[in-house]
This record gives sequence, structure tokens and C-alpha cells, in this order.
Amino acid sequence: MAPLTWIIIIAVVLIAIAVYYFNKFVVLENRIENSTAQIDVQLKKRADLVPSLVKVVKGYAKHEKSIMNNVTNARKEFLKGGNIKEKMQSGNKLQDALKSIFAIAENYPQLRANENFLHLQKELASIEDKVAYARQYYNDSIMSYENVSERIPGMLFFNLYGKKKKEYLKIPQEHKAVPKIEF
Amino acid sequence: MRTSFHKQISRNKLKSTILLVGIFSVLILMGYIIGSIAGPDYFTIIMIIAIIISILYIWTGYYNSHKIAIASVRAKVANQSEHLEYHHLVEGLCLASGLPKPKLYVMEDSNINAFASGRDPKNAVICITTGCLEKLDKQELEGILAHELSHIANYDIRFMTFTAVLVGIIAIVSEIFLRSLFWGGVGGRDRKLHPFLIIFGIALAIIAPIVVSMVQLTISRKREFTADASAVKFIRSPTGLKNALEKIKHEHPTKVDKHISKAVAPLFISDPFKRKVQNLFSTHPPLEKRIAILERM
Repeated sequence: MAPLTWIIIIAVVLIAIAVYYFNKFVVLENRIENSTAQIDVQLKKRADLVPSLVKVVKGYAKHEKSIMNNVTNARKEFLKGGNIKEKMQSGNKLQDALKSIFAIAENYPQLRANENFLHLQKELASIEDKVAYARQYYNDSIMSYENVSERIPGMLFFNLYGKKKKEYLKIPQEHKAVPKIEF
Repeated sequence: MRTSFHKQISRNKLKSTILLVGIFSVLILMGYIIGSIAGPDYFTIIMIIAIIISILYIWTGYYNSHKIAIASVRAKVANQSEHLEYHHLVEGLCLASGLPKPKLYVMEDSNINAFASGRDPKNAVICITTGCLEKLDKQELEGILAHELSHIANYDIRFMTFTAVLVGIIAIVSEIFLRSLFWGGVGGRDRKLHPFLIIFGIALAIIAPIVVSMVQLTISRKREFTADASAVKFIRSPTGLKNALEKIKHEHPTKVDKHISKAVAPLFISDPFKRKVQNLFSTHPPLEKRIAILERM
């Protein structure tokens, strides 16, 4: 074959590989973005349930003002927004505040029997699971991204396209410990 | 678990294609033999009819598989308020796996069982028995659901749908061929037909459906292990699924409800119990082995 043919063949193969990696990075980045959005949705849902929870609890436990304020403030803090890491942090604080509500509910049998309260308790528990799963998927997505971007030839294209590393979502230190419930 | 999850998925997609091509070749070979036995005048007509039937068959099977499966077991839609936990668990697992939420169904049956069906993750269904809801705790139910969701994520459901439809076609073609021999319609005219060709044709008609379904079952069993592994990957703990399988093992099978009898199965274009549906228990490897593997994870 003429040298020109060879050059054309090689060029086509190289372009195909470049396109392949370009698209691959787009897919993986979209996956990360989507999983971030999923975490966000769950955190938002949790924050949305707070006012109705506070309302129900107030009906039975009027004297637990400081705990109610904690929850309401934690929610406000969360609604201020920020990036996903900050949201995760404020979301965790909200979760802690909610835990203390469920802890004091032990002292109010009527509250524990309230249907609305039970429903909210279930919803919030499932949201906690979902946040954990969404974060897991986020980290999985980061890993797939790293698996491509840190290996050859992915690494070359990673640098060529000027892509940036993404960070894992770590569980904050205080959350690894079993939450303290004070009575 | 050594091979990456996504690799497994693309391998499954590739396998589906290979199987599809393989079975199509068998079909065309059968058509060719029938055609040459019946004579060149009929060859084109038979082939055209066979291809049209095949395409129609695949089309309906492919687009309606999950509906057929759901209808055949008389499953009901699991509504959100009545089956809150079921919905919550699936939603959580969907977040863990990045899948869209499938449609959820419940079927009346006191045995613990479940299946997933559909052509792709966007058109998937999961159906569990009332036995699951009564006998399993939250963690165990989550294990079972993660297993079914893995079948969806790994494109096992599409693969099983494809193979069920194609195995069905091969069975039909074989049947037509064997019957046409009995009618004596083929080779009836004074044509010199090699007897070897006829014997080969008969052998193919008998063996092809068996071989194809054997291959299908072998792959299906292997996929159960993969689905167990993926389920553990989603939940990051084998305990729930392991306990659920343990419970199934010790369950005394109560009489299977008659409406899921095999009598209705032939009404469908493919056997909704053994092949298309990813049933947790038939065509599966022994529970002991699956439990042992889960214990080692």
C-alpha cells in the first residue's frame, strides 16, 4: 500500500480512539453529575419533611423547645445551599438533630402512637438509607471515572482534554461513631 | 466480583447478540433444509414466511414480555401507600445502582419468590409474592430485591426474553418440519433427494431446540451467581440475601397456586415460567452453593 494510505488509516484510528475517550469521559462525568443530583434530591426531601414533623411533635411535646429550634435551625442552615459537600455536611447535622427528636419521642407515648408521626418516622428512615445509597453510587461513579482517567491510554486523553480529578464524598469523622443520645 | 460490573454488562450484551445471531443461523439453516426438501419452488415462499413469522414473533415477544409475565401470574400493581416499605427499598436500591425505578408488582402466593422481566432497565418490572412480604424482614427483602434489580442492571432480563422468544421459534419451525414429513408432502414428487439430507434435517429438528435451551439454561444459572454478587455490591453486605435464601431453603413449599400452573404457559408465545422470567428458583443453581458463596463474600 502507498504510504499515504497508511497515514490515512492511522489518522482515522487515532481520531476514533480520541472520540471514544472523549465520549467516555462525558458519559462518566454525567454519571457523577447525576448522582450528585440524586443526593441533593434526597437531602431536599428530608429538609421538606422537617416542618410537618416539628408541627406534629409540638402538639405533644410543647416543652422541648430547644430541640425543635435545633432542628429548625439545622434545616435553615441546609437550605442556604452550597456545593454538594457542604450540603452533605449540613444535611448530616439535620439528621443528628432529627435523631434527638426521635429520642425524646420515647417519653411521649401519645406522640409515638400518632399516625402522622409514625409515617414521618418511616419516611425519614428511608431517606437516610437513600442518602447512604446515593452517596455510595456517587463514590462508585467517581471510581469508574478514576479507573479510566488514571490508566493508559485514558490518562493521556484525560490530560489532553484538560479534565479535572473529582473528589470522593467522605463520611465526616463524627458520623462514623455511633450517635450519642442523651437523656 | 473480579471483573468490573460494567464489563459484565457489556459482555452480557455481546453474548445476547452472539446468541441471537447463532440462533438465527440455525433458523436459516433449517429453512434451507426444509426448502431443499420441499423443492425449489417452495423454497422462497417458505423462507419468506419463516422470516415474517420470526420477526413478528420477536417483535411481540420483545415489546410485551413483561406484560405477558405479569398477566400470567395475575400480579397486581403494588401501590405506594399499601406497600410503602417495598417501594422505599426499591427506590434506595435504584439510587445505589443508578437504575430507573422499575414498576412494582405483587402476586398472590405464600411461597417466597420473585422475578424481574422487561426488555431494558427503562421498561422493567419486579414482581414479588405475598410470601415475601409476610415472611421476610426488611433486610432479607432488600436482599431479594437487590438480586432482582441486578438481573435488570445486568441486562439478564433482555437476554432471557430474547432467548425465550428464539427458542420458541426454533421449536415451532422444528415442529412444522417434522409434521410436514408426516404429511408426506415433501419430497413427494419424483425428485432425487439425498436421504442424508432428510436424516440431517430430522436430527436438526429434534436436537436444535434441546441444545438451544440447554445453552440457555447454562447461561441462566451462571447469571444467578452474578446477580447475587451484584446484589452484594449494591447493598455492601451479603447478610440480607443470604438469610433470605436460607429461609427459602427451609421453607416447606406449600401447594403452588393453581393459577400459576403450567397449563396456561403454552398460551403464551414463550414459556413465562421457565425461560423468560428470571424466576428466583427454577433454572437456578442449588441454594446451598449460592449461600456458601455469599458466606465467603
